[in-house]
Amino acid sequence: MTGRVCRGCGGTDIELDAARGDAVCTGCGSVLEDNIIVSEVQFVENSGGGSSAVGQFVSLDGAGKTPTLGGGFHVNLGKESRAQTLQNGRRQIHHLGNQLQLNQHCLDTAFNFFKMAVSKHLTRGRKMAHVIAACLYLVCRTEGTPHMLLDLSDLLQVNVYVLGKTFLLLARELCINAPAIDPCLYIPRFAHLLEFGDKNHEVSMTALRLLQRMKRDWMHTGRRPSGLCGAALLVAARMHDFRRTVKEVISVVKVCESTLRKRLTEFEDTPTSQLTVDEFMKVDLEEECDPPSYTAGQRKLRMKQLEQVLSKQLEEVEGEISSYQDAIEIELENSRPKAKGALASLTKDGSVEDTTSSLFGEEDAEDEELEAAASHLNKDFYQELLGGGIPGSSEAAGGPEGGGRPPALESLLGPLPTAASLGISDSIRECISLQSRDPNASGDGELDLSGIDDLEIDRYILNEAEARVKAELWMRENAEYLREQREKEARIAKERELGIYKEHKPKKSCKRREPIQASTAGEAIEKMLEQKKISSKINYSVLRDLDSKGGGGPHKEDARPQERAGARKLSRRKTPASRSGADPVASVGKRLRPMVSTQPANKKVAVGEALLPSPPSLGAEPVRPTAVVVESGPVSYHPEEDADEEEPDEEDGEPCVSALQMMGGDDYGCDGDDDDGY
Amino acid sequence: MDADSDVALDILITNVVCVFRTRCHLNLRKIALEGANVIYKRDVGKVLMKLRKPRITATIWSSGKIICTGATSEEEAKFGARRLARSLQKLGFQVTFSKAIRAADTQGFIFVIFTDFKVVNVLAVCNMPFEIRLPEFTKNNRPHASYEPELHPAVCYRIKSLRATLQIFSTGSITVTGPNVKAVATAVEQVYPFVFESRKEIL
Repeated sequence: MTGRVCRGCGGTDIELDAARGDAVCTGCGSVLEDNIIVSEVQFVENSGGGSSAVGQFVSLDGAGKTPTLGGGFHVNLGKESRAQTLQNGRRQIHHLGNQLQLNQHCLDTAFNFFKMAVSKHLTRGRKMAHVIAACLYLVCRTEGTPHMLLDLSDLLQVNVYVLGKTFLLLARELCINAPAIDPCLYIPRFAHLLEFGDKNHEVSMTALRLLQRMKRDWMHTGRRPSGLCGAALLVAARMHDFRRTVKEVISVVKVCESTLRKRLTEFEDTPTSQLTVDEFMKVDLEEECDPPSYTAGQRKLRMKQLEQVLSKQLEEVEGEISSYQDAIEIELENSRPKAKGALASLTKDGSVEDTTSSLFGEEDAEDEELEAAASHLNKDFYQELLGGGIPGSSEAAGGPEGGGRPPALESLLGPLPTAASLGISDSIRECISLQSRDPNASGDGELDLSGIDDLEIDRYILNEAEARVKAELWMRENAEYLREQREKEARIAKERELGIYKEHKPKKSCKRREPIQASTAGEAIEKMLEQKKISSKINYSVLRDLDSKGGGGPHKEDARPQERAGARKLSRRKTPASRSGADPVASVGKRLRPMVSTQPANKKVAVGEALLPSPPSLGAEPVRPTAVVVESGPVSYHPEEDADEEEPDEEDGEPCVSALQMMGGDDYGCDGDDDDGY
Repeated sequence: MDADSDVALDILITNVVCVFRTRCHLNLRKIALEGANVIYKRDVGKVLMKLRKPRITATIWSSGKIICTGATSEEEAKFGARRLARSLQKLGFQVTFSKAIRAADTQGFIFVIFTDFKVVNVLAVCNMPFEIRLPEFTKNNRPHASYEPELHPAVCYRIKSLRATLQIFSTGSITVTGPNVKAVATAVEQVYPFVFESRKEIL
């Protein structure tokens, strides 16, 4: 191998090892490249004595760059991302499916669903486990196996609603209509778990009949099928003299005890429950029932009506009672001996009121209702006190006592709350005052102030003292959060001192790149490549040429392979791009890594495509760097060098020329030396 | 089964959600300290302010974006949003102006920018006078309706063109959410014939 310069030492002595596919500099020992594409088959001997072929598998349609750093000890080596995902998925599906005891057909179907999901990018942003579970459950539903979503969530320890969400999304996106769940599907499974022995079948049949009855009676709409199954099985078991407690049933069926009881009571309400066992087996009642929620609603309505009637009656009764009460009091008063002296003034109603107001209602006498209520209360209390005091004592003794009482009353009751002290005077005022509304706001961002009561809004703003109190309260409430924040900051400060503080940069969200403005496709590709910074080895002139000859290119391709049989050069990555004219930018971006292909046929075809800059163009523009030259095939980085190189190459007759060489890129940063372990 | 017009169903709007922006940075701490009707959630960085008159709750972020929920009609939502902006203004937030770029006003008349007001979501409830067979309904309306009794007792019916979602319960009550009141009404009208097909006859 001549002409190549080692980038480490600058030496030109480069050894090419065909077997390993390496190019190594003998001066400094740095590996210049590996994965040289060869067209011969070689064998190596294994430790066991057998021989195996040397080589790597490369995917046909994907990039073939193999991460060979550190040696190939992964099964997934040599595969691209999509294949890896699918393989991973398949493994997980089988793992889960075996735990659920699904047969192979189901697992294959699930894998197909998974493939569809991956191709629709539904796995992005979701845990793989969730997607797998959703695929499996979809299969269960379409096949009609008695697996519940709850089982899957049990296995995965994931919230069942999260799984349900994924499942619904999957079903919607894949346009698969999962048939509705029939509770009858679960009966055999649960019956088996409840261990009915020989009579398993009979109990199951009874339970099935019960379920059908429940369906007719509208108990099953909107309910978890497992709950219904549980109730049916419980009743069926009892009918056949099996003693299965509620606890056993719910442990099998996985519903709550109260749910089960509710179902049982609902069933009890249906007329079917009145039949005996034998009758039930023979007769099927014709009539249907209303759904339980409907009956519940009806009952509520009736209750409300009853309540209304009752309350009306209550009011009447109350009215009567109060009138009786008043009459009795009047009688009592009249029958009582008249109090003399100091008491007399107290017993008078007016004075009592005055006393009340003077004692309690000094500050604000605005709310008359409250006052009236208060005075009424006080009056009654007074009446009691005085009424109790007077008969049992002489006037003289009663006097001072009675006199002593009103003050004692005040101290007893304490100042009664008035509207002002309650602080609701404002809101009362607010409720009384009316607001007018203005539906139109002035445009252009100005705030239309009409109809907005400023006063009310002012009330929302606290004054100084209140603000302080509120701040205090808030601090106390959120003390823990604040403390955590302080600790965190202290920690960060300490770490910073020590110099080990890692700046946790918030994840940089993907910058939206500006759309590339270009007049031609070639220009667009150039710009894109610059942006993506994939390769500096691209010869833009070729790119331009590609675009210009794009129309004639595809036709000439076929002619090329024959002509270029001799030219063994490999094509550049761009060629797939040029072929797939529909998506040049994206595909070029992805495939700018050497396409390592061991198949000569492909090579030639690819080469043919590379020769889009056709001979006519070449002839027309000899000035152009010869990399474009048809014979040399792919574009090279150092056109001058390559021009020289290519000739000797062809004459050389050496079978293996590395792809990189042909492309002329020495800087190809392939550091991996260990290639195929095969 | 003529189930078209003459449907005098009462569609009750229970919630209207709207958003608007004040184009200025809001100091949440100040609002929290001085407002009587606010809750400050410092950990998520927002302030909840509740108004009594149109009974609404507003979530305020420091960027000036405000989401206002709890109103029972679109007009009420707008009214409440305006009151909210007014109260913010009173708390002392001077804002620069949006479309008409004016300097600090000389007349002492402060404009609070009230831009990008948009009703985002409307939630309404409606009651059918009959019950509905959900499995049958789901079967007849395959792509739009989805029913998972294990997860939720109602059928979820989505109308893509209106961007509305209806939740249909077996008792006949339907919950509709959509981008505005008109869409909600249209959605109910659209779904009524299908629901009528799968109704349960009262014996």
